[in-house]
Amino acid sequence: MPAELPTVDSAERVAVAATLAPDAGAAPSASGGRPGRAARDWRGPLLAAPYFVHLAVFFGYPLVFALVLVFHRWDLVTPMEWVGLGNLARLVADDLFARAMLNTGLFLLIHIPLQIVVALFFAELLNKRLPGQGFFRAIYFLPVVVSGVVVTILFAQLFAFDSGYVNRVLVALGGERVPWLVSPAWAMPAIALVATWKNVGLYVLLFLAGLQNIPAPLYEAAEVEGASRWQTWWLVTLPLLNPHMVTVVVLSTIGGFSLFVEPYVLTGGGPLNSTLSGLLYIYNQAFTFNHMGYAATLGLAFALLILVVVLVQRRVVEAEAT
Amino acid sequence: MRGRLPRLLAQAALVAGAVVFAYPFVWMALATLKPEAEISALNPLPSRWTAESYRLVFETIPLGRAFWNSVLVTGLVTTLALVFGSVTAYALARLSWRGREAAFALILFTMMVPFLVLLIPLYTLVVGFGWTDSYAGLVVPFMMNATAVLILRQHFLSLPQGLIDAARIDGAGEVRILFQIVWPLSVPALVTAGIIVFIGSWNEVLWPLLVVRDEAMMTMPQMVTLFAVGGGAESRLGPQLAAALLLALPVILAYAAFQRRFVESLATTGLKG
Amino acid sequence: MRRAALLLLALAASASLGACDDGTPEPSPEAGGPVVLTYWTSQNPQERAWADVLVAEWNAAHPEVQVEAQPIPAGQSSEEVLLAAVVAGTTPDLCSNIWPGVLNDFIRAGGVVPLDRMPGFDSLMAARTPPELADRFVSADGHVYQLPWKTNPILMIYNADLFEAAGVARPPRTYSEDVAAAERITADTDGDGQTDRWMSARDIRPIWWQRYFDVYPLYLAASGGRTFFDARGELAIDEDALREVYGFFQTLYQRGHLPLSTLQGNAFAQRRIATEFTGPWTAAWLVENAPDLRFDFAPVPVPDGFDGEPVTYGDYKNIAVFSSTEHPEAAWAFAQFLVSPEADRLLLETTRQIPLRAGLLEDPALAGFFDQTPSMRRFAEQAPHTRGVDAVPSLTEVLDAIAQSYERAIYGAETPAEAVASAGERIRVIQEWAH
Repeated sequence: MPAELPTVDSAERVAVAATLAPDAGAAPSASGGRPGRAARDWRGPLLAAPYFVHLAVFFGYPLVFALVLVFHRWDLVTPMEWVGLGNLARLVADDLFARAMLNTGLFLLIHIPLQIVVALFFAELLNKRLPGQGFFRAIYFLPVVVSGVVVTILFAQLFAFDSGYVNRVLVALGGERVPWLVSPAWAMPAIALVATWKNVGLYVLLFLAGLQNIPAPLYEAAEVEGASRWQTWWLVTLPLLNPHMVTVVVLSTIGGFSLFVEPYVLTGGGPLNSTLSGLLYIYNQAFTFNHMGYAATLGLAFALLILVVVLVQRRVVEAEAT
Repeated sequence: MRGRLPRLLAQAALVAGAVVFAYPFVWMALATLKPEAEISALNPLPSRWTAESYRLVFETIPLGRAFWNSVLVTGLVTTLALVFGSVTAYALARLSWRGREAAFALILFTMMVPFLVLLIPLYTLVVGFGWTDSYAGLVVPFMMNATAVLILRQHFLSLPQGLIDAARIDGAGEVRILFQIVWPLSVPALVTAGIIVFIGSWNEVLWPLLVVRDEAMMTMPQMVTLFAVGGGAESRLGPQLAAALLLALPVILAYAAFQRRFVESLATTGLKG
Repeated sequence: MRRAALLLLALAASASLGACDDGTPEPSPEAGGPVVLTYWTSQNPQERAWADVLVAEWNAAHPEVQVEAQPIPAGQSSEEVLLAAVVAGTTPDLCSNIWPGVLNDFIRAGGVVPLDRMPGFDSLMAARTPPELADRFVSADGHVYQLPWKTNPILMIYNADLFEAAGVARPPRTYSEDVAAAERITADTDGDGQTDRWMSARDIRPIWWQRYFDVYPLYLAASGGRTFFDARGELAIDEDALREVYGFFQTLYQRGHLPLSTLQGNAFAQRRIATEFTGPWTAAWLVENAPDLRFDFAPVPVPDGFDGEPVTYGDYKNIAVFSSTEHPEAAWAFAQFLVSPEADRLLLETTRQIPLRAGLLEDPALAGFFDQTPSMRRFAEQAPHTRGVDAVPSLTEVLDAIAQSYERAIYGAETPAEAVASAGERIRVIQEWAH
């Protein structure tokens, strides 16, 4: 079975978030606008041309094709057939797609807070500049660079119910086996755990960069005021980390929407559809059932949803920043 | 910072974290050297060291050939993405032209659309070009990379205008300015963008699964996926893990070689929130 | 729009013709060289070895028609690769690994050649194919696009030692016998409070084709060989039989005789499970990889009170000639060569798969083989009592609906009756979408 990343790789998401974060959004006009305008007007388009020609062919054409597919039924084998709004009508009535959206929501609800708490914890520790911090930083980031295929092959065995290493250890410690990937209640949390394990290193680095940018005098001032360490953290550190927090939230959101490999390999969307993610459902419609038109409809609806969520997040953030 | 005990606790927590993130890989590496029956045992150490799992992997699939395919494809994708990404990013960051903002917004938009939506049309397109089972089919669709453009643009924005103006006065063209003046000042950003493109390209599975069917043209992750999740491993765990480890190894080594640079530039370039 | 799609397919086809050439040197007939046929075999090493022997023999005897054997390019599944090749026009001249479930798509795409128009087709079918199966390979348009080749009947393999140790005298025939045996076998052998030996185990992920190895064979047995659709392609599930099957599995899972999880590794070889539903390939694998394991095969269990010979699922693989060939007659001649009595004997002996040939058990040349490997005799006996899959549109989606409802039953989320009813509803919706 195939497996991976029709998604934005987690490391790639950094750039998106960096651009969406409030400060970055303001940057381009500030410095880019200055150079001699009129004289060089043609150079910009000329230099950018190869990229946009490529984009027109390898993004524009497929996108238009996908839009055309929305109004057709196509099984790849026989010619396309016009179905008007049939695919949209089907989408509205599709319980499974609704379920997939709900699952994605649940995944985000577990994944984002977990990611933030764990990442903040380790970023704080790394910021203490204890011996070996470079080594630890590198280790925490290791799962981020490794292929999702490797991670799922690994966790299929670690999380196996009867013979998996994790349950072996739990039983040896006198505990009970946990039905990680096989109980409808545990499967999505288990997948969120795997996804967090794989990606959190990135967010540790993000928060660490933020912590290191907080000027020391602020802490000194807080100490003079007699603030406790907890108060200092709550009143000084956390507010100053806000832009990074936003980045992490945006990144995890986009990442969460692209959840695919983990359920595809580990659970196949089960048990009882509890791990059926949006992309997994679209994948099945397209490549298991050959419903290309319907899959395109679902895909575009999904893309629209992501766009709306991210824009809303950005709007909220900008409102907060001003 | 204050007491001795908190520092000790913090150190312990760091070590615990390292165990959580690294131990699964260690377990995997040891499991590949165990006899099949011992893999699920509590003791991570083999009672008898054996390379049997690796022998089966190399006997079943031409992993060497796949490795070189991956190196070539990933190398080409990364190089092209950096060159064209720089040119585009430079135009977006340092030149002012009509439609620049719209062009930038368009690039952002392309990143929002799940790749899966474009997969089928893109596949028919590549088939139409006759690029199945070819390097072109694996490289050309990915030779432009929006992430690389974003990272490089972000960095180019931070360079002092004086440098560029001075070069222009000397009569240098924009392309020369980019590669002779801007590039040497952008090594961290290039490393970051390069590694991100490299990782993404190296780990890509779905696309090669679609466009490559000839075993001689397969990339490494594709072959490992087919072997481990398809039938090749005959449901034996050791060979599955061995193939997975062999797939992870080049990335881990590349990361180990560049990690200091990478992590530092990641913390200073792409991430300025 | 339709024109655009056609254009695209045409484009794809023409482009891929070019792409095909660099893989297979195909000298033009004008040049006077021999005809070269490309023949795709399965990936399985034993089958490749079998094909290599036959191809060498053929090439030596037919200098004017040279065959080049290639394993089906690896992919997720050979069906998917073949379908993609049909769409792109990159099919070989012939292939011996066609699963009847996808043939329908190939026919609609015009990708395969009707074989019933070929010289000698009828006499070959009459002489070779077991008579009770002959009409099962006719497609909806009345033509035959596949030469029946081999089948792998799904039987129950059991670990004779585990059965003996648990006091199970003979392999269970009915559901209650199976549950009773399961009660004795399922155990915690190392005393850590956790079950570590089960009656059987299945991949419980809701993956449609996994159900060919549990629900489907048992359903065919319980229904006396009725597939899900009738000859006109109308849905005709034997709901009582399906309810029985769901109820049987629900009992086993709810009582813990089957683990509600996917066991990693080969649990049967590791003696963690006592039975499994599987085909003859398992015997070959076990002989090589677990030589001291004592096992045998028995028919899949049936509902209490059922009598008669249980039918099971047969994983058919047939030979098809693709429309992309320039030499259909030569390809057909080679296809006939692949099913000669000698080729069939060699197939049985080297790959341990069952050629779809009448009278295998009476063949004196094979008597020695069956005496040496009694388990293969069971498969050969079962082969005529097998059913394949229905050649209907949306077959995978129908199976997916079955897989989903089966999952609800084994998790106890629905009663067997509810699960069967909801599966039926879902399948009707799927069929509505398909029209």
